[in-house]
Amino acid sequence: MESFLHYLSMPYLLDGILITLQATALGFFGGFALGLLLAGMALSRNRVVSGVARTYSVIFRGTPLVLQLVFVFTALPHVGVVLSPIMAAGVALAANEATFFAEIFRSAVLGVDKGQTDAARAVGLRPRTVLRRIIGPQAARAAIPAIGSEAVSTMKNSALASIIAVPELTLRSNQLASATFDYFSIFFASGVMYLVLTGAITGLQLTIERALDLSRVGRRGRGRPAVPSTVNEVSVIETPVATKELTATRNVNGVVSRAEAVGRARVALSISDVHKAFADHEVLRGIDLEIRKGEVVALLGPSGSGKSTLLRLINHLETLDTGKISFDGIEVGYRDAGVPLPEREVARQRVDAGVGMVFQHFNLFGHLTARENVAVPLRWVHRVPKDEALAAADHLLGRVGLSGRAHALPRQLSGGQQQRVGIARALAGRPQVLLLDEPTSALDPELVQEVLEVVRSLAVDDGLTMLIATHQLGFAREVADRVVFMADGTVLEQGPPQQVLDTPKHPTAVRFLRAVHTVEV
Amino acid sequence: MLNRLLRPAALLASAGAITLLATACGSGSPATSGNAPAYAALASSPTCSQLRTQNPDLAGKTLTNAINPHTPGYESISVSDPTKYEGFDIDLGEAIGECLGFKVNYLPVAFDALLPTLQSGQANFIISDIYATKERAASADFITYSKVNDGVLVAAGNPKKLTGIDDSLCGTTSALNKGFVEVPLVEAQSAKCQAAGKPPAQTALFDNNADCVQAILSGRADAYINDVNTVARFVKDQPDKLARATAVTLPYSIGIGVPKGQLPIRNAFTAALTEVQKSGLQTQLSQKWSLDESAIEAPSLVTAS
Repeated sequence: MESFLHYLSMPYLLDGILITLQATALGFFGGFALGLLLAGMALSRNRVVSGVARTYSVIFRGTPLVLQLVFVFTALPHVGVVLSPIMAAGVALAANEATFFAEIFRSAVLGVDKGQTDAARAVGLRPRTVLRRIIGPQAARAAIPAIGSEAVSTMKNSALASIIAVPELTLRSNQLASATFDYFSIFFASGVMYLVLTGAITGLQLTIERALDLSRVGRRGRGRPAVPSTVNEVSVIETPVATKELTATRNVNGVVSRAEAVGRARVALSISDVHKAFADHEVLRGIDLEIRKGEVVALLGPSGSGKSTLLRLINHLETLDTGKISFDGIEVGYRDAGVPLPEREVARQRVDAGVGMVFQHFNLFGHLTARENVAVPLRWVHRVPKDEALAAADHLLGRVGLSGRAHALPRQLSGGQQQRVGIARALAGRPQVLLLDEPTSALDPELVQEVLEVVRSLAVDDGLTMLIATHQLGFAREVADRVVFMADGTVLEQGPPQQVLDTPKHPTAVRFLRAVHTVEV
Repeated sequence: MLNRLLRPAALLASAGAITLLATACGSGSPATSGNAPAYAALASSPTCSQLRTQNPDLAGKTLTNAINPHTPGYESISVSDPTKYEGFDIDLGEAIGECLGFKVNYLPVAFDALLPTLQSGQANFIISDIYATKERAASADFITYSKVNDGVLVAAGNPKKLTGIDDSLCGTTSALNKGFVEVPLVEAQSAKCQAAGKPPAQTALFDNNADCVQAILSGRADAYINDVNTVARFVKDQPDKLARATAVTLPYSIGIGVPKGQLPIRNAFTAALTEVQKSGLQTQLSQKWSLDESAIEAPSLVTAS
């Protein structure tokens, strides 16, 4: 016991801890940086790039660290690269750890819900911003426990550097044991030292986890509380999206004139002969539609009829097989000659075309509060200063009746509230055309109305051009200017709501409407 | 939000930067070259003076000695000051260094890494109780300084009745260092055992002597075969648990390893070693380190050709 304590406080071994920390730091930070690069390469669509990363991983993950250490220390000098023992250890450790870090990062990125990327692309974020602002922060949280464990593993692996003359803790313990024959006291002492070091790493890991824990966010309150809204929920809705032409026309000339006004408006979105197949499955087989400015079109049809795919093609979340989709001349995703554009230019096109999207599953950014979600397009697409963007977000949240929940995280909101935030986020970019992909399908029945109210106000008060995939027949009848009935990737019939809903011609439409009606009643 | 995420990251990064900085500035391996000359008489001898004039490339330099510091008496860290190495080989290297005018730095590596370390240029020479065999001469030139006498270390009372590298090893396990010359000898004996219908002579390979001795103490091995002085030292340390079974004469010499074919350094070392022996210093050093059974041998070369 006495000699154990003697070794525990021996400067020679304590100095060894310093070298162990240096080797660990070199391996950890070097491996972290190289791992980021490797993960990026592995996720690349370029096969050569991802192949290089894969080959690297196969080699460095597939060979013992001992060999790598000896290789760097004794083989590299033969080609003129002479590293000091500690640097050689750092290089070998980093090269080895990088493969593990790369897999941690890659799985963390892949673990972020695909809907997050969809939503980020839909609001017009460029790929780099998507990675930095949306995927990165969420992946980082998911990766922290594994990174912590990798740090511990790096420290333990640094003991192997003893074989290439790095005077770290293990080498010193070995040498001391050889000189004193006091084998067990020494190794118990160095074991305790390693435990303290790895325990400290674990402590650091838990601290960081705690600091980033989203479930603590709401309780702490993020930033200043929003000004409490005195306005009523939903009922008071202003019109920041401009264009009151249609409503104005209606006020002067009576109810009929809305249809006339829509008919006179210019075409905002034209879809011609659009085809799309996933593998062998043909989802869309030639869709032609023209949507006029201010028009509200309800897309009806059974599941699998291609409604969602059509919406995702319109803002180029999916690529077209053949056909053409044009917003007033802008074909999102393509150059003039139909040549595909890189994603960062597509992002700008989405903004230029003014196309927004609301998702069935909301796809709110999970790490951001409601107001931060709404501010995303303003801050990171339109480059509005943060304070201004958040103020505008608060205003929009007021419009959808959620002023009181501005500081809540998506996970703390009900489905209906989340969807209202989703709509506010889509409005923040001041869209010309809003695509709504079954906005109420994922909601409990009692929450459907609050979302429909918001959508209705956008149509009636704002005159926003909207394309809504929905199963809500009553809503379609009340709000839509036109109902388009789709099945099996084609438009079976379309026309004013009364016509299509009350006197459908096609047997499939008849059957479908009867079935939906039965459920609704 | 991002601030919250970045703060710990920044903390980590700065911690890393500090460590790297410390590394860059930092403490390398323990170097031992004393400042005051320990062998003034040797250094001031006409031969050494002449050698320094003849070898301006060595004088004033610091050369690196690759060692496997796990053999107390020959080379190990000093118990009183663990930042220093001590032992017969250490003193011999320092003496040659003083004669030729260079200081010595040490690189402690595994025994089987000694030769690769020299070949890679990470070290300039090896003085680490290494036997100069023809096989090893493929990787380095050796200048011999002592004859080899091996001893067999066993548990007290020699329970397996071992008598050397012979049929008594059949069915036993020898704990040896990786790269020891005894490894092929025991393996050859094992083949003989099996040819005679006896159980093989096993080897258990370790990275240093202390681990080999632990293998005997824990009952995992029956024998450890190495330099007789080293064996004697282990017995002296734990006489109630360890014993020396027998001596084994091997047809080898202990040598200083220098890079292959580099005649200037090889000749300089040979001349300096001859002077060390002539001055009686090697005998003094053997006595100082209780290498009672060492047999000084006039320097001769062991090379591949």
